[in-house]
Amino acid sequence: MAKSTLLNKIYNAGPILLLYYLCISEVDTNLEKIFEIFSLNFQIILIYFWVLKRPEIMANGHIFVAGLINDVVMGFPMGISSLSYLIIIFFGTYVRNKSVNTTIASDWFTFFMAMIFSNLLFFSLLNNFSELSFSMSKIGYNMFFTLFMFPIFWLLFNIYQMTLIGNRDV
Amino acid sequence: MSVSREDFSIAFRSALLKRGGAQKFSVLSLIFLALIIFFLDVYGTKFTKPVRGFINDVVYRVTFLASTPTRFFPQAGKDIASYLNVREENERLKVELEKYKSLELNVEFLTEENQNLQKILETEYFNKNLSNIILAKVLVDKNSPFLKSIIINKGTRAGILKGMPVTKNNYLVGRVVETNYLSSRVLLLNDLNSRIPVTLDESAQAILSGSGSSKPILEYLPEDYEILEDINVFASGKDGIFTAGTPVGKTNLDGEVELFVDPNQLSFVTVNLNIKKKDN
Repeated sequence: MAKSTLLNKIYNAGPILLLYYLCISEVDTNLEKIFEIFSLNFQIILIYFWVLKRPEIMANGHIFVAGLINDVVMGFPMGISSLSYLIIIFFGTYVRNKSVNTTIASDWFTFFMAMIFSNLLFFSLLNNFSELSFSMSKIGYNMFFTLFMFPIFWLLFNIYQMTLIGNRDV
Repeated sequence: MSVSREDFSIAFRSALLKRGGAQKFSVLSLIFLALIIFFLDVYGTKFTKPVRGFINDVVYRVTFLASTPTRFFPQAGKDIASYLNVREENERLKVELEKYKSLELNVEFLTEENQNLQKILETEYFNKNLSNIILAKVLVDKNSPFLKSIIINKGTRAGILKGMPVTKNNYLVGRVVETNYLSSRVLLLNDLNSRIPVTLDESAQAILSGSGSSKPILEYLPEDYEILEDINVFASGKDGIFTAGTPVGKTNLDGEVELFVDPNQLSFVTVNLNIKKKDN
């Protein structure tokens, strides 16, 4: 019994540990060596899915700290990734409050809205308050591939949830 | 209608303010906190700069440790392959050694001649003072789609200042854009924010601009200038930051510059401390 509780705790901590690891390690989702335009914001997919499905295992405070770490590693002004992640949390929580049951299509659409607002805030703050400049095409490709890959990760996370954590949808 | 608006308002407020259970902080309070941190960092005060530097040093070290597995496996694969090819490599190296021995005398003569010519021109050989060049290890090389930069394990303690040029095997790699006590961030030549004055083989002047991809582009070339393939590109040194004559790369037919050093394959780099010290 104790062993199974410990395992459950480890499985529950999986998404947040993955988020921290993605933010702090060199692992990236920018495969420009293979396909030059491919890049993906995996963190926001991870946050949105788990905030929508199991908010109790994705605490806001942890996401906030992971955002700060991401800013330090990437060289952005501190707090900007946290803000972008918090917008994702806000959308996820709002959709969760408003909907009784969700499908992959509805999650995909609401994720698109969340990503638009989150990236809008992120890049407008960077554009106005830092000296960094960005390529609009790169931002476009990044958003496109993030949106495109969402259903794949949705399915993978769903499998993880059902097999290791246990389904407890709204 | 009013019920729908009430629903919206309840869901909206709940999403912003809800706490309890695993959520110890509301989204709204964290948004305010993030905004405060952001503006403190952007309009850095005397207090925030050392704090940010300390956080950077700690996080970069942790990142280096956390990335060890991702470095270990590719390196282990290379090591095994190199171990299996050691005999062939030995034979090849013997042949190469003979070749270089014969070239050594020639190089010695050319070096002497070069130094004499530089004395005549009253210029300084850029590697003359080797004590002012420090070797640094690349701690973090996170390949972001937006920012092309690396973190090195030397900072202000080793005398690194913002703007210092960074090279590898005397080829230009980038410049220091952020310094902490124990680490620094180097902006690579292919970053969108990188602009350096360069000179081409036929002494044409241009600006090498990072394009965000692996190959930077040449801008502000002379009018009617036709870019040919395989033209060497050097730093012109007109900005007073980069040493004049430092090799950068070669042109291709698309007007891009293929860098001599692959920005994605950096493990050790050198920082030239000479340049900024002259200014200070």
